[in-house]
Amino acid sequence: MHSFDYHKPSTLAEAAALHQGAEDAAYLSGGQTLLPTMNQRLAAPSDLIDLAGIGELAGIATASGQVCIGACTRHAEVAASDAVRGALPTLASLAGQIGDPQVRNRGAIGGSLANSDPAADYPAAVLALNAVIHTDRREIAGDDYFLGLFETALEPGEIITRIDFAVPARAAYQKFPNPASRFAVAGVLVADYSGDVRVGVTGAGPCAFRALAFEAALAESLDPRALEGADIEGVIFNSDLHASAEYRAHLVRVMAQRAVAQLL
Amino acid sequence: MEQSGEYRILTKREDVWASLNDPEVLAKCIDGCQSMQRREDGSFLAAVKARVGPIRATFKANLRLVDLNPPASYVIHADVNGGAVGFAKGSAKVFLEEDGAATLLRYEISARVGGKLAQLGARLVDGAARKMAADFFAAFRLEFASPASAGGLSH
Repeated sequence: MHSFDYHKPSTLAEAAALHQGAEDAAYLSGGQTLLPTMNQRLAAPSDLIDLAGIGELAGIATASGQVCIGACTRHAEVAASDAVRGALPTLASLAGQIGDPQVRNRGAIGGSLANSDPAADYPAAVLALNAVIHTDRREIAGDDYFLGLFETALEPGEIITRIDFAVPARAAYQKFPNPASRFAVAGVLVADYSGDVRVGVTGAGPCAFRALAFEAALAESLDPRALEGADIEGVIFNSDLHASAEYRAHLVRVMAQRAVAQLL
Repeated sequence: MEQSGEYRILTKREDVWASLNDPEVLAKCIDGCQSMQRREDGSFLAAVKARVGPIRATFKANLRLVDLNPPASYVIHADVNGGAVGFAKGSAKVFLEEDGAATLLRYEISARVGGKLAQLGARLVDGAARKMAADFFAAFRLEFASPASAGGLSH
């Protein structure tokens, strides 16, 4: 690993100032992508700014119809949280399906969303559960957040502080995991807001997206069979050694149907 | 990896051809391009600082233009070296067709990647290449678009 300076600020302002003052800084959240990347010498930031010491990025809270999760909350904490399991069990279940126990005990929600891996699980939840992403500068609607492959609405140096999920009447997440990495080959979260249905898809395109054709079909009839004639348009499905684009498109429909069947 | 695409560019074919052979235009349109030189034998030498998610790497690319058929088609042979990150080798066939006052640009890319790039990034290579091509052509088309017409460009 190349040498770098390690910082552990205790406030957001301090973290932002460190980032601005450094030549090529990276924020460190759980480090489950960044550190292996550095180990392989595929990235060599001059400064690592560890966000784990910033108190306001920690913690889980539930408020009227919302589940609010601090950016540095580990996946294992979300999966085990009584508050999340009570108010939004689908989110706890999703967090419990991320990677392996090591990843879940180090990786954090803010880092996952800032990285925006096309196969990460949380992005499906951000879209389907109508989340709002709070940063040290502003609030970003979940719908406006994912822009492309590893591309988000975050500006350079901007820090995610908290994610607020809107609690639906019912929801379910189904994913087809890669058997080795547990990344989603395709993952679909379906949420029913009393007739208004939202469908978030991850793993299948350059970034997570809402399956609007599925949402329209499910608003008509909340039934797995309603998805048989609905086709997702305007998405270039990923094609790689794990799955072709055609296979992924098929998986998205099957996962969506299973999610609908599960939530009924 | 095989990829193809098509873009409509709102200018005449000769201008598109000239720009595709202009190191300054190319450098401007490639995100992260640090240098682009035309060498005596007609090949291009480029250095590009690329970022895909957490990965940061500087690539040196040697581009040779062959089967030149101005202003209708050519083939680019590329040899890309990213040091510790890995390497890529490939070629792109580029076709320019007149379409009224505009030009239809089609390309077909065939490439192989090796090293850590292939070992660790295999699931991302296709998407990353697609994004780089889209970014390049978005910038390239703007070279010929007046601000008023930019919104009306079709893919």
